[in-house]
Formats: sequence, C-alpha cells, structure tokens
Amino acid sequence: MSYARLNSLLIVMIVTVALIWLAIPFTMAILWSLVDPAEPWTADKLLPPVMSFYRWVDMWENSSLKYALISSYSLAPTAAILGLCLAMPTAFALGRFNFAGRELAKLLCLLPLVVPPFITAIFFSALLFQLGLNTWRFGAIVFAHSILFLPYAIRILTVSFENVRQDHIDAARDLGASPWARFRVAYLPALKPGISATLLIVFIQSIEEFAIAFIIGSPDIVTIPTLLYSALGQDFVRPNAAVLSLILVVPNVFLMLILERLMRSANPALSSGKG
Amino acid sequence: MTMRNWIQIFALLMPGLGLILVLIGSVVYIAIAQSFGYYALLGESAFSTEFWSEVFSRKIFSRAVRYSIYIGFWSAVLSVALAYPLAIWLRKPFPGSIGLGALLKAPLLVHGLVAAFLYINVISYNGLLNQTMQGIGIWAEPRRLQNDSNAFGVLLLQVWKNMPFALLVLTGSVQGISDDVLDAARDLGAGPWARFRKIIAPLTMSGMQAAMVIIFIGALADFTFQTTVGPTNRQSMAQLMVSFKSRGDWHSAAVVGVSLMIIALLGSALLALLTRTVMRGSPR
Repeated sequence: MSYARLNSLLIVMIVTVALIWLAIPFTMAILWSLVDPAEPWTADKLLPPVMSFYRWVDMWENSSLKYALISSYSLAPTAAILGLCLAMPTAFALGRFNFAGRELAKLLCLLPLVVPPFITAIFFSALLFQLGLNTWRFGAIVFAHSILFLPYAIRILTVSFENVRQDHIDAARDLGASPWARFRVAYLPALKPGISATLLIVFIQSIEEFAIAFIIGSPDIVTIPTLLYSALGQDFVRPNAAVLSLILVVPNVFLMLILERLMRSANPALSSGKG
Repeated sequence: MTMRNWIQIFALLMPGLGLILVLIGSVVYIAIAQSFGYYALLGESAFSTEFWSEVFSRKIFSRAVRYSIYIGFWSAVLSVALAYPLAIWLRKPFPGSIGLGALLKAPLLVHGLVAAFLYINVISYNGLLNQTMQGIGIWAEPRRLQNDSNAFGVLLLQVWKNMPFALLVLTGSVQGISDDVLDAARDLGAGPWARFRKIIAPLTMSGMQAAMVIIFIGALADFTFQTTVGPTNRQSMAQLMVSFKSRGDWHSAAVVGVSLMIIALLGSALLALLTRTVMRGSPR
C-alpha cells in the first residue's frame, strides 16, 4: 500500500473514532436535554417522541441552577481580576529583571499545579477552621481560586513583560514621560493580549474548578460543577444532567477558542510587529 | 545587584509567588501536622503516631493505595502510548492535519464531569451501547456496565481527558525536532527505526516524562471520575480522604493526604526514570 493511501486510511479511521468519541455522546446529550416529560424516550425509538425546552425552563425555575449560575459567574470574574492584580508584580519581576534565582522562582510558581486539588481543598478548609474563617465561603473560594490559578497568570504575563521593548521605555523616558505615561505607551500595548488572556484563563479555570468549590462551598454555595456533580450522583435525572452539562460546556468552548486566539497574539513573534 | 534592587524584587514577588508559597506551604504543613495529631478541631492536640499506625493497619487504606496507583499508572501509560504515535504522525503537516489535530484535542475543552455524564449516558443500562450490541445481536440482553469493578470506565475517561493533553505536550516536543537533523541521519543511512531510536526518542523524552508525571499525579488523586463511574466496592485515596474528613476525622484524612503526596512524589520520580529506561534502552 502506498504512503498516501495509508495516510488517508488513517485519517478516515481517526475521524471515525473521533466521531464516536465526541459527536455521538454530545448529540445524545442534546437530545436528552430536549426530552419532554409528556412522553418518555424509550429504547425502541430513535429520537425522543416529544421534544421541547421544558427541562431547560423547569431547571431554570425550580432548581438551584439560577443560584449556581450567579455564584459561578460572580466567583470567576472576581477571581480573575484578583489573580491578575496578584500576578502582575511577580510577572514584572520575572520578565524585566535578571536576578539570581529567577529560574527557581519560576519553578516555584508552578507549585499549585503539582499538589492534588483535593489535598489543597481539604487542608485549606482545615486552615480556615483554625483561623475561624470557615463561614467566609465566597471570599475563601475567590482567594483560593485566584492563588491556585496564579501559575497560568504569572506564566502568560511574564512572557508579555519580556515582550515590552526596552527602546520604547527609553524613548518614552527621554521624551519626559511620567511613570504612568511610560506604562501607558510602552508597557500597555505589549501587555494587552497577555492581560486579556490571563483574565480569560483564570475565569475559565474558576468556572470549571470543582474540588475547592465542593469542599469549601458546600452546603451554602453551589456552582455549576458542584450542581452537575450532585445531578450525577444520588439524584441522577438524565435530562437534567444533560441540561447542566451543556450549560457548563458550551460557553467554555467559545471562551477557550477566544483564549487560543489571544494566546497566539500574545506570542512574541507576532505581537512585537510594531517596532 | 544592590540591596535596594533585592528589596524591590522581593517586594514584587510577594503578592504572587509569596502568596503561592504561603498557601501551599500552610496547606502541606497543616496536613502533616494534623496527621501527627496536631490542630485537632475537637479534643486535645498532641503529638501522636497513633493515626498513622491506625490508618495503615486498615484494609480499606491499602486497597485505596493499590487502586489509586493502578489508576494513575495505567492512565499515564495508556494516554501517552496513544498520543505518541499520533504526535509523530502529525509532525509533518499534510492536508487536513491541522483539523485532525484540533479534533483530537477537542476533549481538552470538555469538563471532566461533563465527560463523565456523556459516558454514563452512552453505557447506561438502556443506553446507546447496550442498544447497539443487542441490535446487532452480540448481546442477548442489556448488560450493567456502569461502575464496573475493574474500573475500565474510569480508565477510559482518564484517557479520553488526558490523551489530548499528552498529544499537546508531545506535539510540541516532536515539532521541535528540526528536519535538518532527521535528513542528516537519513543521508548517513539511518532507517526509520534507527531514526526513531537515535533521534526522535531521545529528543522527545523530556516532553514524554512531563506528560507521564502530570497525568499520573492527576489520575492518582482522582475523585470525580471515581465517585461517578468508578467501582462502588473500592475507594480511591482522594475519595477515602474526603470520606474521613466528612466524618470529622481530620487526622485520618491527613494521613491519607500526606501518603497521597508522598506516593505522587515517589511515583513521579519512578515513572520519569522508567520512561527514560524504556526510551533509551538502558539507564544512563
């Protein structure tokens, strides 16, 4: 068999597997979320006999979905902004200064990614108990999320700070620009894609985070992942779980696609096109 | 560098790296201290090794350790073994290769819990798989596939979720190999196998080690897949830790947590070494 034929055979195989892997489960999820309770979707029918948005409306009106959406979508932007503020100074130091131990500092920034999330969650909650802060749930989750996702934020912003051109800073200084004006004209243009990428990545990670939200948040704070988790557990109602899955997955896919574009424009080779 | 510069850098690192070290440091410290009887929420805090000996003597613990290592090891090995040939295949662009890469990496965008739901939905008692197997006459009646006792469901989900990650890491390192090096080897008479052994394997080893270790730690400490699709007669270490904690037994939870961290550390080192041995033929 020729190389080209083998290659196209492989392509067909992979696409088939990927379809089984992705398209079928998602189609099933969408169909299940549309099953109308008037008539159950039994095994002998290819499509649900009656389809409607009943489940969506019902979940919206009669479950914790609304609260979960509110808490998820208020936790995430708060954590993203806090994370950005916390990451900026460190990224500035790592990206603009050459000091002994810089590589070690970069490595230590990755620590939150190595410790298993449930260990962090449980012993962070132990810490909160010791400090008497165990009822401060919203703040504790925001705090934990913004620190746990700092590795991504610091990494992205460090690269952005490295991309700031020294001659731009020098030129601004020579022209008598104040520190703020220097930041605005020399730093900000190079940092912008990195800042957006940081906000977005912490936002996505926070929306998806489960361990901290589950351990620290329960029972008061429900997020979309913790709600989905309980929908998969003892009170498993398939159409409801399907609705929740789609609510969790669809917006994030779009956000990730935007993120990918931002990351590409945060890339050194592409963003320093000005000078 | 002057003292002033050092103070400046130190101050800059404080809110970011400083907070990371404080949070992770205190989390690890509390875990270790609680495992030795300190920081009791009820009763008195005093040094004791009683919790370690108590937890270690329990069958449920040794089963959880073995089970978690099983999941961690096979998730890492299977994900990387699937991703590696794909990464090499996709090294040279061909028509459609970018689309293929994106299709293969798509599960990265899907939340683990959603993946768990999709899986349950497909394999459930009257789900699509059972229907299909009955439809084509292989199975006479539906089978119960959920929460299978060999944890194939957990492994399948781990691979579903982690293979794309491994592919991402490995594509990076495979594409880092320049054509010049491979062409030179070909000119010197190296066949495909020799080119793989002598060039591709050593140059992609660090990427492979990174993928193995990260997947291993994640799967070792798995909670969500285990509690949703895993076997009901066994617990993973994270699950055991959570169940101790929710009973208020923080000290035993801490023993499990610290053991989990130690196994993650030792296991990662062993896996990295194993990867090197396999890729090089012999340890250097």
